[in-house]
Amino acid sequence: MAHTTKQKPRYHIAVFLAPAVIVYTAVMIYPLFNTLRLALFTEIDQQRVWVGLQNFRTLFGDAIWSDQFWNALGNNAWFFLIHMLVQNPIGVALAAILSSPRLRFSAFYRTAIFIPTILSFVIVGFAWKLILSPIWGIAPDMLDAIGLKFLYAPWLGKEEYALTTLSLVSVWQYVGIPMMLIYAALLSIPDEILEAGECDGITGMSAFFKIKLPLILPSIGIISILTFVANFNAFDLIYAAQGALAGPDFSTDILGTFMYRTFFGFQLQLGDPHMGSAIASAMFGVILIGVCIYLFGIQRRLRSYQF
Amino acid sequence: MTALKLENVNKSFGPVHVLKDINLTVEEGEFVVFVGPSGCGKSTLLRVIAGLEDASSGTVQIGDDIVNDVPPAKRGIAMVFQSYALYPHLTVKGNMGLGLKQEGQPKSVIEERVDKASKMLDLDDYLTRRPAELSGGQRQRVAIGRAIVRDPKLFLFDEPLSNLDAALRMNTRVEIAALHRTLSASMIYVTHDQIEAMTLADKIVVLRDGRIEQIGSPMELYNNPANRFVAGFLGSPSMNFLVRSVPGVAPGQTIGIRPEYLGLRADGQIAGQVTHVERLGGDTNLLVRTEQGETLTVRLFGQNDTQVGADVRLGFDPQMAFYFDETDHRVLPKAA
Repeated sequence: MAHTTKQKPRYHIAVFLAPAVIVYTAVMIYPLFNTLRLALFTEIDQQRVWVGLQNFRTLFGDAIWSDQFWNALGNNAWFFLIHMLVQNPIGVALAAILSSPRLRFSAFYRTAIFIPTILSFVIVGFAWKLILSPIWGIAPDMLDAIGLKFLYAPWLGKEEYALTTLSLVSVWQYVGIPMMLIYAALLSIPDEILEAGECDGITGMSAFFKIKLPLILPSIGIISILTFVANFNAFDLIYAAQGALAGPDFSTDILGTFMYRTFFGFQLQLGDPHMGSAIASAMFGVILIGVCIYLFGIQRRLRSYQF
Repeated sequence: MTALKLENVNKSFGPVHVLKDINLTVEEGEFVVFVGPSGCGKSTLLRVIAGLEDASSGTVQIGDDIVNDVPPAKRGIAMVFQSYALYPHLTVKGNMGLGLKQEGQPKSVIEERVDKASKMLDLDDYLTRRPAELSGGQRQRVAIGRAIVRDPKLFLFDEPLSNLDAALRMNTRVEIAALHRTLSASMIYVTHDQIEAMTLADKIVVLRDGRIEQIGSPMELYNNPANRFVAGFLGSPSMNFLVRSVPGVAPGQTIGIRPEYLGLRADGQIAGQVTHVERLGGDTNLLVRTEQGETLTVRLFGQNDTQVGADVRLGFDPQMAFYFDETDHRVLPKAA
């Protein structure tokens, strides 16, 4: 039998792999490497010229460019931090509440909380802009109705609040995703384990912290890395709410909007695909490093449990 | 002193009446087995005793206290689950100690009790392992250890052997019996397997459709079943019930004869043909189709060379036969 398989090259393996390989190469691998390649050129007199790492030297060395880059990266880090500190704990808490068998209408809440996730970012960005507008928004009136009008500020228009406000809008939009993932993880914990805990006197909050939380840690890890990748690739909500200039005064500028402005140009700024590619490559690097830290530093220490 | 007393316990899930007027007393140190077919309510009854379900009516008394409104952890019970229900994220030691830790016991007490339990169950080499790294039998022992460290007044076992293979099941059965002798604690054990019930119990409670059919020691139930259900449920192979094949049985009555009390006899009252032979070495089981068209099982001790298709006559000692009326209750034989 051994020599017959040797004689026949197994072409069918290549045939079956081909569709996936071709599609993935066409839409992912080729564009990625082409972007990395593009970052090594520049355009002089409408000619593409090889410049090696010059674009990166400009990006990190030139005062104006590097200011913008570090500003965007810092904003992006804050954007991510808010998601980790607000979105994921709220998602876990909502899931814990939803999984309680005593909660009525849980299917309704689950759907209602998840709906913003499926809305277009344009709708979300525009709707929140209207809600928070000091002139015709409903936020000042609603705060007034409960006597808290003094708390109101034009949050999207102030440099010190705008980024946090947009992060929270994004949290509002996407909190359904961690909620659903954790909800599924909680449902997969067998009842008997929780009942064994009940016999051991572990109920309520201590059941959550001593039994459920350790068992859903792997899911929380996955959610963290998904949040990280999504946040550092984010662009849409900022663009929809604040435009490509990510105002006020670039205070909501993140890597995505910075890259967009540079690559395609905006208002008086001319588009520069090569510098844009350099920024895209830097984003790729940041995400790659983050994912590696997670995979090698954290993921290995998380155990996943079979029930 | 009584370890457990149930009075008129009822349990309904919505319109479904699962437990009907359960009255039961378990004495201190007794090993009681709840047995019955699946869906008879035996697990629900155990969960009511544990406090995982509330009784719809009636009282549950553990020791001297009525515990209807007491949470499971304060009832002085410990439960061993069918799936073991170990905490997957904790080591064997952590699994056994978590309940004590939750009670706020000092570290030294926890250490000492875990140590004692692990010695008793031979778990010393596995204390730092997690459940995923243990075999089924070891997990089972950890689950029992988790119950022992809590030093309960009453142990509750919910089909603890049904996830083990046959050989291990036998060993663990012996271990549980030994454990009962060492701890001399009161234990309640739920199973659908009548062999487990017969071998372990001081007292068997046979349940059907949420009602207690009969309570008694294994041999009492075997020798003196109150009705056809109990007679058929205990004993393996199960009892033969015949209406037509035995001459002299009154119309409306059923005669029940255990397979081991039937024998091949030339002058036997029952005539039939062998349709199947099971040779087990120690025993030989024959399936016989009688001339009247009923099928019965005969258990012959030792080896026997009867072949399929042979015509046989079967006899039995009338003392060893049971009679049942139309309502399946045990009655005295009526003259035909």
